[in-house]
Amino acid sequence: MTRIDQGERAAQREQGRRAGSGGHHAVGDTGSGRPRGRPVGHAVLRAGQGSFLVHRRALVVGVVLTVLLAGAVVASLCVGESFVAPSEVLRVLLGLPSPDRLVVGTLRLPRLVTGLLVGIAFGLSGALIQTMARNPLASPDVIGVTHGAGAATVAAMTFGLTSYTVLPYVSVAGGLLAALLVYLFAWRGGLAASRFVLIGIGISVALGSLTRLLLTKGDYLVAQQAKTWLTGSLNGRGYDQAAPLATVLVLLVPFLLWAARARRGSAFDDDTAIALGIRLDRVRVGLSVLGVVLASVATGAAGPVDFVALLAPQIARRLTRAPHIPLVCSALMGALIVVIGDLLARRLLSPLELPVGVFTALVGAPYLMWLIVRTRSSRSGGTA
Amino acid sequence: MTGNRPTAPGPSRLAARRLTLAYEDRTVVEELDLDVPDGKVTVIVGPNACGKSTLLRALGRLLKPRRGAVLLDGTELARLPTKRIAQVIGLLPQTPVPPEGITVGDLIARGRQPHQKWWQQWSETDETSVSEAMQRTGTADLAERPVDELSGGQRQRVWIAMALAQDTDLLLLDEPTTYLDIAHQVEVLDLVRQLNRERGRTVVAVLHDLNQAARYADHLIAMCAGRIVAQGAPGDIVTAELVQEVFGLASVVVPDPVTGGPMVVPGPLRSPDGTSAGDDVPGGAGGGATVPAARDAAW
Repeated sequence: MTRIDQGERAAQREQGRRAGSGGHHAVGDTGSGRPRGRPVGHAVLRAGQGSFLVHRRALVVGVVLTVLLAGAVVASLCVGESFVAPSEVLRVLLGLPSPDRLVVGTLRLPRLVTGLLVGIAFGLSGALIQTMARNPLASPDVIGVTHGAGAATVAAMTFGLTSYTVLPYVSVAGGLLAALLVYLFAWRGGLAASRFVLIGIGISVALGSLTRLLLTKGDYLVAQQAKTWLTGSLNGRGYDQAAPLATVLVLLVPFLLWAARARRGSAFDDDTAIALGIRLDRVRVGLSVLGVVLASVATGAAGPVDFVALLAPQIARRLTRAPHIPLVCSALMGALIVVIGDLLARRLLSPLELPVGVFTALVGAPYLMWLIVRTRSSRSGGTA
Repeated sequence: MTGNRPTAPGPSRLAARRLTLAYEDRTVVEELDLDVPDGKVTVIVGPNACGKSTLLRALGRLLKPRRGAVLLDGTELARLPTKRIAQVIGLLPQTPVPPEGITVGDLIARGRQPHQKWWQQWSETDETSVSEAMQRTGTADLAERPVDELSGGQRQRVWIAMALAQDTDLLLLDEPTTYLDIAHQVEVLDLVRQLNRERGRTVVAVLHDLNQAARYADHLIAMCAGRIVAQGAPGDIVTAELVQEVFGLASVVVPDPVTGGPMVVPGPLRSPDGTSAGDDVPGGAGGGATVPAARDAAW
């Protein structure tokens, strides 16, 4: 409480200083008689003509998650068939000569980078789609992307396409196509969130059956391979998969900046949002297309890593207690879940290696349930 | 009263021309003309399903006209960017839903949305408007509280504060007193009238309660079955015949003991069609003729 107040006071001092220099500051504005009109819980950052609202608690959570993520990254590079001391890991990361360069830099790092990017992409995707659908259960798994990617990939494998350089693109195409189908059916002069989710579920189920049909009728070995892919695995993944994903993420940054602002309005009911001048259809389509692209590309890189897109935003939301799903924190949370999940997947039953998708749900789900139970007992609400 | 062609009682920034409104295949309002008088409080009344809320939604571009147009300063609403409309017209829907877990201060600040750009998210003007809105609505002390925890009356004040922070010349309110007890209803309506008097804001409100409408309106519009049956100053148009025509209710119109304006008292209690008319009594909560009588006594 006191910390927040201090922050606000500091922001107000900053504000007062600027206003003073501007020279058109009404005296009554900061007088004790008038309440301070400020979006509570936010800090105002000013830079030249620009001013930005930052959710204060989200900022703190973001910093904490970054520190945790850095720890998980180092731990993940230390642990493996042979243990590498953290100091050596840091030397490799800094590009200094080290005897462990091969193990850490060549074997473990590419896989880790892929995991990080996949986590970021799924975390963002889930946050965008849940925001757009105003539904905590909406995620790329639900609206058809994952199943579209799955069906396309399994079909390609069944028909003899096994090249790991081509398959990711097939999967991306499958995810996008499935989403396109959802849009086509859901669009009726506008995009209603509930219809979008329901049609998505329908298409998901249909594509899921198609995948199972291919698995049962196809070659046994192909089915085995496809099964691993369908669980989501980082095994054998490296820069070949990470590079396209990184490119897409960088290209999407301007759009994500737009989304970070646009989503503020979409948390209202339709009427209130429109009354506030928000172009709801454009915001909905924009947010969901961003989410679909991110999920498709991430699925192409590592397969459908279960639940990350569903869990990460919800966990981030509860940690930040923001009135919206925080984008950056969701991305960091997604990365954290995947990195820790993959660490467990590699080492828990070593030398047997499991797909990361098995563990992301195992790590995230209990934590989310604990958070929900805890928040329910202290305060009602906070489900979306 | 029927056949009264709407005439502009003065300048009008917001107007409807041959407006036809429909949901799916059900036409609710047909060929309606309306001029909203600037700087006045206009109240729309009428029985349930008469199209009053639908009309308000169209005036606030929440509903696209099937035919005809709503004009803002002579330009069709449909041709204006929704954000620009939001800088001129504020609108409070009947049951607005806040973002979950949002605090009062944050919610009121969202009213500034139409004046912001993504690289200008919080200006001096934003701050001034929000603090003024808080002050006028007495919501400053609630700023840190989550909206979910507020009582109905507090919540409505917060929503009105948000609409005020939007700082628009026109304010449309869809039944702003629903769910409120009598004291809070009066409080909200007093606030609305005060805003109009002090700032010259044009207000259009849909109200359920005929007596409240008569009391707070400068310009009263009575609607029935999608048409405007009568409009004008309440003292000029509220008569027992009008109440009979619009609501199908037998009543006596007497001078309001406080304002001297018209006050509708339902009765005689055992009118031949009393049972069916009882459903149409404005004021909602209890229905029946005795409840409005009790409410009038409270005035």
